[in-house]
Amino acid sequence: MANLTLDIIHQHSNFTLTVKQQLSTQGIIGIFGHSGSGKSTLLRIIAGLETNSVGSVIFADKALQNTSQSLFVSPEQRNIGLVFQNSRLFPHLTVADNLKFAQQRCKSATLSLTEIIELTQLSSLLSQLPAQLSGGEQQRVALARAILAEPKLLLLDEPLSALDQHHKINLLALLKTIQQQLKIPMLYVSHSLAELQQISAQLLILSHGEVIDFGNTHQVIHRLNHDKDHALINQQTSLSLLIKQHHSQQALTQLSLSKQQSLYLPLLDENQHPLGSQLRCFIFANDISITLHEPSESSIVNHLPGIITQLSKQSTHSVLVTVQCAEQAFFVLISQRSQQKLSLQKNDQVFIQFKASAIRTLAHNHHFIEE
Amino acid sequence: MENSSDVIALITTLKMAALSTLILLLIGTPLAWYLAKMQSKTKAFIEAFVALPIILPPTVLGFYLLIAFSPQAPLGEFWQQLTQSQLAFSFSAIVIGSVLYSLPFVVQPLQRAFEQLGEQYLEAAAMLGATPLDRFFSIVLPITKTSFISAASLGFAHTVGEFGVVLMIGGNIPEQTRVLSIALFDHVEAFDYAQAHLLAFSLLASSFVLLAIIYLLTNKRNNQNQAKVTHG
Repeated sequence: MANLTLDIIHQHSNFTLTVKQQLSTQGIIGIFGHSGSGKSTLLRIIAGLETNSVGSVIFADKALQNTSQSLFVSPEQRNIGLVFQNSRLFPHLTVADNLKFAQQRCKSATLSLTEIIELTQLSSLLSQLPAQLSGGEQQRVALARAILAEPKLLLLDEPLSALDQHHKINLLALLKTIQQQLKIPMLYVSHSLAELQQISAQLLILSHGEVIDFGNTHQVIHRLNHDKDHALINQQTSLSLLIKQHHSQQALTQLSLSKQQSLYLPLLDENQHPLGSQLRCFIFANDISITLHEPSESSIVNHLPGIITQLSKQSTHSVLVTVQCAEQAFFVLISQRSQQKLSLQKNDQVFIQFKASAIRTLAHNHHFIEE
Repeated sequence: MENSSDVIALITTLKMAALSTLILLLIGTPLAWYLAKMQSKTKAFIEAFVALPIILPPTVLGFYLLIAFSPQAPLGEFWQQLTQSQLAFSFSAIVIGSVLYSLPFVVQPLQRAFEQLGEQYLEAAAMLGATPLDRFFSIVLPITKTSFISAASLGFAHTVGEFGVVLMIGGNIPEQTRVLSIALFDHVEAFDYAQAHLLAFSLLASSFVLLAIIYLLTNKRNNQNQAKVTHG
């Protein structure tokens, strides 16, 4: 596992990006921020494409930039890959030649071209020119091309943002597969938290050119729930749960929350989500409600007993309630009026309830909400 | 025979134009690249300097070059020491003159092409390990190929057609500096209109063919770009 140590300042007109952060690059690290937060600039600095940033970039014990020593390793010598938002395939070269371009310039060249073509499902497109491809196909080629350069670190700058929903899901699944098979550490920049929630093990949050949080994805998202000043995200509970059972009769999939407790969401495709695999999903705080007694006659599928551990007033006459259900904290947004009506206090025993359709995942097309 | 001196003039012209075009591409490409990437205010001054021959009477350029080429001037003196021959009224002089005179016709299309190309493919190539020289030959050159062809053709055609500069700095020395446009002038002065017609018409026709080829190429490229836009 290689470390990436950043200590940089980048100024551009009236925007300043200041990052002082050490990242152990393992799996996929998500970088989240709104447009103008500096996340793409950060990637470009790591790639070596921003020559006027000041400070140091060290990856795997090798200094890539150190302004005080006038050291700047050019992008072509960094062995870092970058997949751009717009695929940037070379327009005069066919798909096959675009791929070979990367492989021919790769010093190690241990990956088999045929295998990568198979993995990224490009065999039928090899003789086409980039202009003949759809957006999703272009990004698949761009991804394959970046991998064939065999980078020690792969940077992805909003690789899905130009794609429609269907292609997004496919490419995200492909990225996961690639990560698992080839073990390339990745930094994945996006303004879509839902995308990052699906794919990243760790999450770094950038706001106005500064890192405001970094850590385990679920934990960071939960901390952001309390970030009143920034209002960066839709408040939510972020989960990774085991798939326990597919109930095709009831059109529900059962997820294991704890030994005794389960959650249900609309039926998932069994082939893509085999039993025993992990599912990343999230529930918006708005979609959960609180009752004082266990609802016995309700259409709502999911209800769980829990204890209130925190109540925090929001600016919008609402209260964010943290309810601990066994090991898992759930975040519930209710109105102040409801809080008063139920006279909810810390340490109260309550029940939370939410519909199956409140559990959102990228696998459910219609549930995926772009933030 | 008059004809044979015209053939010699044609050969001199082609030699001059070919050599000038080669030098123009060698100088013009890095200059155009530099201008395309440049952002400071100096850029406007360099651009203006490069563009001067478009509006300046060629005789103005020729006059200053004549002065610079004379053995008394530093450049002329340096040349004389280097080659033991005079620079003014030599083949080298008309090649240097042509290069300056045709510079905008090579630099401008290349600069436009490089500006249009932008950084995106170059950055992508760099991220795949391509060195700057590699990027030039594997990305820039093939993508801007038609611009290079039109720049070279324009430079060549413009050099063939020049008169004023050559007249000022070349004199009219057969096999050295007597080019087609000067030969034509000589025929007219000698009232040899038949021969003048022949030369004038061949210059006209060949120039037309050359330009038509350039525009055909450029239009084809524009159509392709358009197709790309509507496609993607």
